[in-house]
Amino acid sequence: MSLLELKDVSKVYGELHALEKANLKVDKGEWIAIMGPSGSGKSTMMNIIGCMDRPSSGQVIFDGRDITKESRKKLTEFHRDKIGLVFQQFHLINYLNAVENVMVAQYYHSMPDEKEALEALERVGLKDRARHLPSQLSGGEQQRVCIARALINSPELILADEPTGNLDEANENIVLDIFRQLHKEGTSLIVVTHDPEVGEVAQRIVRLDHGKIISDKKNESFSEGE
Amino acid sequence: MNKKRRMFVRMVTASLVRRRSRMIVALLAIIVGATILSGLGMIYFDVPRQMSAQFRSYGANIIFTPSDDGYIDKDSLEKGISCFSKEQLEGYTPYRYENTSIHNIPVTLAGTDFSGVLKTSPYWHINGSMPSSDGEALIGAKAAEKLGISVGDSISAQNSFEVTDETDLTGIPDYEIYTDPETGEKYCDHMLELKAAGILETGGSEEEYIYVTLADIQSLTLSDRGYDIVEVSVAAMQDELKDYLKQVGEKTPDISARLVKRVTASESTVLTKLEALVLIVTIVVLALTMICVATTMTAVIAERRKEIGLRKALGAQNSSIMAEFLSEGLVLGGVGGIAGSLLGFVFADIVSMNVFSSPITFRPLLLPITIAASVIVTGLACMIPIKSAVEVDPALVLKGE
Ligand SMILES: Nc1ncnc2c1ncn2[C@@H]1O[C@H](COP(=O)(O)OP(=O)(O)O)[C@@H](O)[C@H]1O
Ligand SMILES: [Mg+2]
Repeated sequence: MSLLELKDVSKVYGELHALEKANLKVDKGEWIAIMGPSGSGKSTMMNIIGCMDRPSSGQVIFDGRDITKESRKKLTEFHRDKIGLVFQQFHLINYLNAVENVMVAQYYHSMPDEKEALEALERVGLKDRARHLPSQLSGGEQQRVCIARALINSPELILADEPTGNLDEANENIVLDIFRQLHKEGTSLIVVTHDPEVGEVAQRIVRLDHGKIISDKKNESFSEGE
Repeated sequence: MNKKRRMFVRMVTASLVRRRSRMIVALLAIIVGATILSGLGMIYFDVPRQMSAQFRSYGANIIFTPSDDGYIDKDSLEKGISCFSKEQLEGYTPYRYENTSIHNIPVTLAGTDFSGVLKTSPYWHINGSMPSSDGEALIGAKAAEKLGISVGDSISAQNSFEVTDETDLTGIPDYEIYTDPETGEKYCDHMLELKAAGILETGGSEEEYIYVTLADIQSLTLSDRGYDIVEVSVAAMQDELKDYLKQVGEKTPDISARLVKRVTASESTVLTKLEALVLIVTIVVLALTMICVATTMTAVIAERRKEIGLRKALGAQNSSIMAEFLSEGLVLGGVGGIAGSLLGFVFADIVSMNVFSSPITFRPLLLPITIAASVIVTGLACMIPIKSAVEVDPALVLKGE
């Protein structure tokens, strides 16, 4: 059974078709890269999948439910329970330290638990940085805190929008390793990127241009772990 | 629930403590508002007391006179005075007037109690010093001019009266018997030696008199009759004073007590106007504080739009974000209220010392009132920007690039 299905999803801003009749099926545990030039509609698609935005037309079926019909409150709850988000700009709360930033996600999801939050930080290799404020962390470390925050509630799907866009190569590799790990554990991943290196490691590559899906192929060079 | 609440407190505290440079602006606005509120409150409630004490310094506000042609004797004076509450009675001064002549010029001598005179006549201005013992006199400026007396001079007051029996005069020092050659009546010229301790300036009729102690006037006149007039100073407002007058009238029928109109009437009008002024200023200050806090909070919250969007993206409901931001505001309001209410007391005290030259009465009830007002005003001021801020679209504020 598929985890997520977009059916003829369009998003229109005035004259501009940011997304046009997009159709996409994502299976549970799948790792998909969404690629395309800047302005091609990648973030628009992510926001719709992440329940942060509604399509102008079309249906989004998540776990068998059409989420475009849900109320805003339901949508928030749904997204909170099922999806972990990673952004290009990290978006940490600047007055909370690393572990507290992870706990915020637990707080809105269910119950904050510092021990679990520390374990999540350990997974991304930041155990000794748990009490640092974002301003005291490097970009790569901040992004890893974001990943720890995204996976803390064990979401079915992790949505990452240009997660390595602001990172150097070393940090990019650390992040990709974490993705591989998550994939192995069965978490579904959708990673938006315009960086071919990041796209190459995914199972499947979907290409967007001018709001249209122009190709959707299995990645031949994908290897299940080293 | 417990863990959740602890995280809530942790987030609110972190926001307040780790963002203190931002919070300090808002806090200062709140403290200033609370200070002025509590300060004006203290002044507002203290003004009546201060003002009546102040007006008191323009003289006594009650006058006792004998109800018939006689005098007020000591016993009825004591009875009359006992009608006033001890806290409110600031002082009273009896006066006894006698016509005498000094250096053959007729002058009115007034016997009084110098120890209490400044309580009922604080406006007396004395060159030299206040008489401190018998034999010393305070010379009214006009009398001094008429008689050519200056501070330190010796004068002798003369009292002449008819004597029928010379044996009445036994024990009196310093007198001369003088017989009128035409009528054959005998007179006694009794003398009182006085030293001018000071010259009195009041700008009023007091300047015509020479003030001596009651004992001196008694020995000059050889009689211990009662008083002609008693001035009383009571720290009470008009209505209360009227009640007192009634009591005195009932208790001591031989005293006729009346208000000194000039002072008490204007006292009440000025007070009412002053209270209204303080009230208006308080309301204006509250409104200004609210605008100031709302502006500051709007700025503080505007720069947190991204954070609000992020929290929503992490699954926060609007109500829970509002609760967090409002709590921050309420903590600021509380802290500002506590600091402001205490500072307000200091502020009121400084104002009181400068305007009324007396310390303010501390009113503890004003502390919780100020803190509550500060919390409520801050809460309201925060609600406006928060309500619109939580409506942000997370997709918009978190947009990459
Ligand atoms: N809120 C918006 N209002 C108007 N136009 C928008 C909005 N969001 C995105 N767009 C436009 O939609 C197109 C796709 O944007 P986006 O999905 O952000 O592209 P990208 O692939 O770079 O992430 C762009 O042309 C962008 O300018
Ligand atoms: Mg984008």
